[in-house]
Amino acid sequence: MNFTELFATDNLFGEDTSNPLMWLVWIVPIIIFMFYGQRIQLQITSSEIAKNIEKLKKYKEDSKTELVNYLQKNLKVANDVSKKIDVFLEYFAIMPVDIDPNGIIPKIKHLLRSKENYTRLQVKSLSSTMNHLEQSKVQNMLEVVTALNMLHKIVRHLYLTAKKQNNFPLILPLQMMMPFIMEQSTALRDAISALKLGQPIGDGIGPMVVGKMMLNAQKKTIALETVCGQTEFEQRQLYLLKAEGPAATVGRPGDAVEILVAEKPPNIIIMVDAALKMEGEDSGSVAQGFGAAIGGIGTDRFQIEEIATKNGIPIYALVIKQSVKEAITLMTKEIADKADEVESRIHQIILENTTPGQTVLVVGVGNTLGVPQ
Amino acid sequence: MIFDKKEKPMIAYTIERCQSCNNEVKRKFKEGDCLFTATSECAKCKATMSIAKIFGQSTE
Repeated sequence: MNFTELFATDNLFGEDTSNPLMWLVWIVPIIIFMFYGQRIQLQITSSEIAKNIEKLKKYKEDSKTELVNYLQKNLKVANDVSKKIDVFLEYFAIMPVDIDPNGIIPKIKHLLRSKENYTRLQVKSLSSTMNHLEQSKVQNMLEVVTALNMLHKIVRHLYLTAKKQNNFPLILPLQMMMPFIMEQSTALRDAISALKLGQPIGDGIGPMVVGKMMLNAQKKTIALETVCGQTEFEQRQLYLLKAEGPAATVGRPGDAVEILVAEKPPNIIIMVDAALKMEGEDSGSVAQGFGAAIGGIGTDRFQIEEIATKNGIPIYALVIKQSVKEAITLMTKEIADKADEVESRIHQIILENTTPGQTVLVVGVGNTLGVPQ
Repeated sequence: MIFDKKEKPMIAYTIERCQSCNNEVKRKFKEGDCLFTATSECAKCKATMSIAKIFGQSTE
């Protein structure tokens, strides 16, 4: 047989269709892809996901090690703290039944408060010398490690289920979600260093603005880890509210607003918070709107909306746009530079919507780590 | 991946601002720095400076 002739390009791709090798070249891959196409795709996709799972595992372990080292070096906690942290990581909350959603918010609030109080006590019990600031930092770091642990577990579960059942459609949504999950995980991992050093994070822009406004004002603790200051601006009475800094806490703005409104209902409420930006939007851009600007599971927002509606108080919102990463890691220059602009926007809203002698409640929402008042 | 970008590391800075002449000094963040706390004396007017901002900036 003349192989030179057989493999000649003219014979392979030319007009002569009788060549058996040419048949094979076309038919075999078609048959392979017909029967094994999904499996091949599953292999390619799953190897990419497997790499990300390894990354997630590393992030989780690294942040846990950093937390343990921080506890041992800075707070002189006993060496067996790693085991205790493993127990914390597995804490869960069973959400109330939502078949009949009437009255579900107080149930969620009660559940989360119980969990929060218990965790706070457990963290405090780690070291007798731990002050409030350190306790809040450790609690936040623990939340970061717990979130990373949960992400790793969920992704691993979906991946292994798809692999076990050779179920390609099951791995597709995971493949689509993976970049978002990884973005969030990287942000969580990077949050640890800011937490350890007590540096302000992007989410702290609201408390930073309000904290600056209440620097020379009379202050009192109004709810758990929440401070209220009283001052005057252009003959208007200002009540300024924020979480008690420089601890890493968001305070209890819902409770604080309820107490303040019961004491003396304000004419308007202004809420300042960080908000997630859309892709293409500039970091640190300021936007004004209406409604309760507050994140979280929704209990505080519900409480504030309820009080405002009952008392007919309009709520104005000022948000500073940022990405997920910027919100939970060290505050960027773009965001910090907007503090003065936000303050003047608050003053503008006050002047436009109130008259002398009226009362205004300004709430700085967010984690107040590294931001005193 | 094709779209992966290498992120530049962030360096933390502290901005000290003079309360009387608004003179600003930018320096690297030191452990213990806290917003709004008094720090040093202003080189220009000798008034007290306080920390106005703490932020991260990526290296060029």
